[in-house]
Amino acid sequence: MLGELLNPYQLQIASFVLINIILAISVYVTLSSGQLSLGSAGFMGIGAYTSALVTIHFEFPIIVGVLVGAVVAGILGILIGIPALRLSGVYLAIATLGLGEVIRVIFVNWESLTNGAVGISNIPQIGREIVFTTRDLGFNATSLGLQNNQFASLSVFLILFVLNIFIIWFIVRQKNSRVGRAFSAIQLDEKAAESMGINVTYYKVLSFAQGAVLAGLAGALFAHVMGYISPSDFAYHRAVEILIFTVFGGSEVIVGSVFGAAFLTLMPEVLRFISEYRYIIYGVLLVILMAVRPQGIIDANILKRLKRSKGGDVHGS
Amino acid sequence: MVLKINHISKNFGGISALTDVSFSINEGEIYGLIGPNGAGKTTMFNLITNIFSPSSGEIIFKEDNITGIKPHKITEKGICRTYQNIRLFSQMSALENVMVGGHCRSESGVMRSVFRTRYQRSEEKTLKENAEELLEIVGLIKYKDVLAENLAYGQQRRLEIARALASDPSLLLLDEPAAGMNENETDSLFDLIKQVQARGITVLIIEHDMPLVMKLCDRITVLNFGEKLAEGTPLEIQNNEAVIEAYLGKEEEDDIA
Ligand SMILES: Nc1ncnc2c1ncn2[C@@H]1O[C@H](COP(=O)(O)OP(=O)(O)O)[C@@H](O)[C@H]1O
Ligand SMILES: [Mg+2]
Repeated sequence: MLGELLNPYQLQIASFVLINIILAISVYVTLSSGQLSLGSAGFMGIGAYTSALVTIHFEFPIIVGVLVGAVVAGILGILIGIPALRLSGVYLAIATLGLGEVIRVIFVNWESLTNGAVGISNIPQIGREIVFTTRDLGFNATSLGLQNNQFASLSVFLILFVLNIFIIWFIVRQKNSRVGRAFSAIQLDEKAAESMGINVTYYKVLSFAQGAVLAGLAGALFAHVMGYISPSDFAYHRAVEILIFTVFGGSEVIVGSVFGAAFLTLMPEVLRFISEYRYIIYGVLLVILMAVRPQGIIDANILKRLKRSKGGDVHGS
Repeated sequence: MVLKINHISKNFGGISALTDVSFSINEGEIYGLIGPNGAGKTTMFNLITNIFSPSSGEIIFKEDNITGIKPHKITEKGICRTYQNIRLFSQMSALENVMVGGHCRSESGVMRSVFRTRYQRSEEKTLKENAEELLEIVGLIKYKDVLAENLAYGQQRRLEIARALASDPSLLLLDEPAAGMNENETDSLFDLIKQVQARGITVLIIEHDMPLVMKLCDRITVLNFGEKLAEGTPLEIQNNEAVIEAYLGKEEEDDIA
């Protein structure tokens, strides 16, 4: 019964939605302190390669590999975030896009480590690992009426889902606090923020590094969901795609990133025939959006109105 | 002595905005900085808060040489300012603006904030209560949830003062706080600044509204083309020939014209 409802293919798409949401949030976090970074694809690649390599060569458990991948991306984020302080706006965007390309070129050329343009295969996969581990513990997926591949995809989906909830919870809590207010103050008026006693350097590097950690985490998860990565997975079109998730969905509120990533990941899947034209459609959507709704689909006002109309229902009829 | 300006000069490229200016402010004083537009008053504020560093000279705050210290450190030490061109956080509510002002008097970081530890919750509560008290003082408590950009001009000016006060300064710098205010608003601004003084805060104020300055200040320095023209009590300044010629007299002509 359950088995018929769970289509591994659809579960995999859902998992990609969840990974893309993490990527979109990584842009959102960095943007929340006023920094427009296009480095997410690069940091994603760092996370992916780091985790893939340590799990293959040192046989680290996947969970450790993923954490190492996120941490390494975060450290690189701090190292890049400090000189990046000198840049703002479009200049920062261009510099971080360049950084991503540099990282990709390193992946291509450091063949002894990365296998060059061919990429790395045989990366341990989260789903399989879970199936094997649970089997060793004497559990059999068929007892749930599931085939092994269904059980694997379902586990991956659930893990990513819980992780998404945790990340959103973390970021929302942070936003409604002294740290979040410092981020917005810097975004709204950096000079005034500084004059109000905010250590602008610290908070900008913090938010840049948080974005890098999230992108690295998403990259590592991507590697262990796919089982295969190559430099082209982390090229500049990926960076632009991630930025579009956030900008399209609405960069003022975290819901915007979630919506943007989900909508734009699902759209080409649901409407198969447009999948080939996906980048053209992104471009057109973005141009229309910038003309009529530069803050993105979802903004603070919409959320307020939604809340109010819900509240209204309770008190109304 | 709270603040000592010691032979300060500032050049922008070829232009000399301030030339060898010195004065000092005593604790608890309301000290006026006046002079025609372009005299270098705002530049003096920017030097004190180290938005720019001086070309020469030094600034001593309570025995501490603060010349060249990072702006946020200066705020921590107890100097906070408002701006001639209001610089509120436009998309934040009035309350949030004032809470940001309390940033350097609180310390919860990411982990405490995310896990809402007991410490963080009590700190957040204190920040909010302080902010509400300050909004009450500046008469904006009714508007605490209104976005700063939606407040009227005079209200924005008072909100900036509340935000600065939230950093618990011992020296408050006000850059033309009465600009754009009507008579009633100016009167309540006078009361507000007196109230600030009563809290033990020293005030350095730049202002063009002469009646207000003369009523409010204990002492005044007059700048003209970047140089110090005179220093003294309001009475001394009003009777100073050089000041009348360069500044006060000119204002009267403007009024007649
Ligand atoms: N950032 C700056 N760059 C170049 N010149 C400046 C700058 N800030 C102020 N000035 C110049 O310094 C002089 C004094 O300006 P300011 O301090 O704003 O005067 P006031 O506040 O007394 O009206 C003016 O000539 C102004 O053009
Ligand atoms: Mg000025």
